[in-house]
Amino acid sequence: MVALVWRQMVQIASPRRRVRRRNWTPDLLLAPALVAIAAVMGFPLVYLCYMSLHKWSLIGYAAPAFVGIDNFTALLADDRFVQSLFRTLYFTALGLATNLPAGLGIALLLNREFFGRDVLRALLIFPMVATPVAMGLVWVVMLDPSLGIVRYLFKLIGVANPPLWLSDTNWVVPTLVLVDAWMWTPMVALICSAGLAALPVEPFEAATVDGASAWQRFRYLTLPLLMPILLVAVMLRLMDLLKVIDIVYVMTGGGPGHASETINLYNYLVALSYDKIGYGSAVALVLFALVLLATLCLIRLRRAT
Amino acid sequence: MTRGAGLRHVGRAIIAWLVVLGMMLPFLWMVLGSFKTARDFLSFPPVWLFRPTLHNYAEVFADNAFLRYVLNSTIVAAGSTGLGLLLGIPAAYAMARWRRTAMGVVLLAARMAPGIAFLIPIFVACLELHLVGGYTSLIASHLIFTLPLAVWMMVGFIEAVPVEIEQAALIDGCSVLGTLVRIVVPLTRQGIAATAILAFIASWNNFLFALVLSNDATKTLPVAILGYIGYNSIQWGALMAAASIITIPVLALALCVQRYIVRGLVSGAVTG
Repeated sequence: MVALVWRQMVQIASPRRRVRRRNWTPDLLLAPALVAIAAVMGFPLVYLCYMSLHKWSLIGYAAPAFVGIDNFTALLADDRFVQSLFRTLYFTALGLATNLPAGLGIALLLNREFFGRDVLRALLIFPMVATPVAMGLVWVVMLDPSLGIVRYLFKLIGVANPPLWLSDTNWVVPTLVLVDAWMWTPMVALICSAGLAALPVEPFEAATVDGASAWQRFRYLTLPLLMPILLVAVMLRLMDLLKVIDIVYVMTGGGPGHASETINLYNYLVALSYDKIGYGSAVALVLFALVLLATLCLIRLRRAT
Repeated sequence: MTRGAGLRHVGRAIIAWLVVLGMMLPFLWMVLGSFKTARDFLSFPPVWLFRPTLHNYAEVFADNAFLRYVLNSTIVAAGSTGLGLLLGIPAAYAMARWRRTAMGVVLLAARMAPGIAFLIPIFVACLELHLVGGYTSLIASHLIFTLPLAVWMMVGFIEAVPVEIEQAALIDGCSVLGTLVRIVVPLTRQGIAATAILAFIASWNNFLFALVLSNDATKTLPVAILGYIGYNSIQWGALMAAASIITIPVLALALCVQRYIVRGLVSGAVTG
């Protein structure tokens, strides 16, 4: 399954043209979907590019004014944008650093048959399918500094004064990363789990016979053999972490101050709350470019190894 | 197996159970909270055993608007799922059998693009067309993820059908469309059901598009639940009850399509 995604993505990144007499039947089958895609995806993206070159506002009667690339140059001088950019990169780095080891760890735990393993696999899908907004709010309740259960659990292990989590400017991003990790580590775990199940048995048997320790087997066999699939997980998490918005919007609204404002949230606020449509479009294009760039770098990296 | 290895095996199983059950704590806390009175909710240390009350659920359903939001979410999710499948299945058929890969670029673009990049222009266009607040704009915007999801999932399911059956039908004079409707669709109906459930969940869970494109009358549940957090008061119990009502159907549906969840997530609904 994961290999399939990979093949498709690599194929897309390296198109091969085949010359063949055209059969129109499949094109007719594709046509309705392509028309819909052109309407709900193609047109908006073209329009977005157009708007990003204008000073554009919805309130009032000022007609959109063409400003060239002014919106993009203004971004560089926009402290709030630059900070949200670096904050998003920090969020992404923390996210990957927690998701991957934790996901791989869970996958390794689930690798051997034991009582109830299938039940645990089924339970693991819950965090990632549950409505993110609803679960974000449940986490807000759990993390409440005065009555939250998280405070209670910390008290149980002897930490009387845990951080204020979402209200602390230094802790808010790690806390949001934690909630995001709770939602998406299971996906990494299940992807790795599928990868582990597909690993060949012989090299491990040979290594055991040769006296390799468990750590050596993991370090020199499991990890390199699993690398292609780990990269798929990295890519998926990378795309989503760079775009994170839902849980931030409902849990902190970007606060306290702007301490948890990610690019995507800033983008939303600028365009749809502050009514700077043109400027917001430019931010959206930059965000899109960022995700695109990160993904293409990963595809390159994968082909290089 | 040596005794040490056996112990390690048991230890590993216990750790796995503890980790996964620990991850279920938010669900437990949500459901417990939904049955607590305000007093139980606000007590610290938190109480695990208490006299359950249905008051919170009564409060949520006493608000007529809540049923309206359930209906809205259902209409939008069903509409975008149905439309996504209707457009996506023929496209997937073309991709699976004739190796049309142009669509692949679209799938990848949909996976990478931030939702906001579509949302801003769609919002502006819908304002012009007076579509903001209507089901049309919501259903159309949700197609951005239900359609790629449907294509992605269905290509896999159709490829698993032996091509000989279709060839036989074609030789017998069945048209391509007839083959699709009479042979391929019935043979992949389980896959179609799984795809429909995944698309439904993606639409049901979507927040950002609904936040911008709905109005008070067409609000979907993820937007409506924000209403329980007021400026000066949070209705804790009702919030937990509403969260449970929104989430539990999704969890139940997801269990039915367990095997396909990761595949669906890989193709990915636009997640932000």
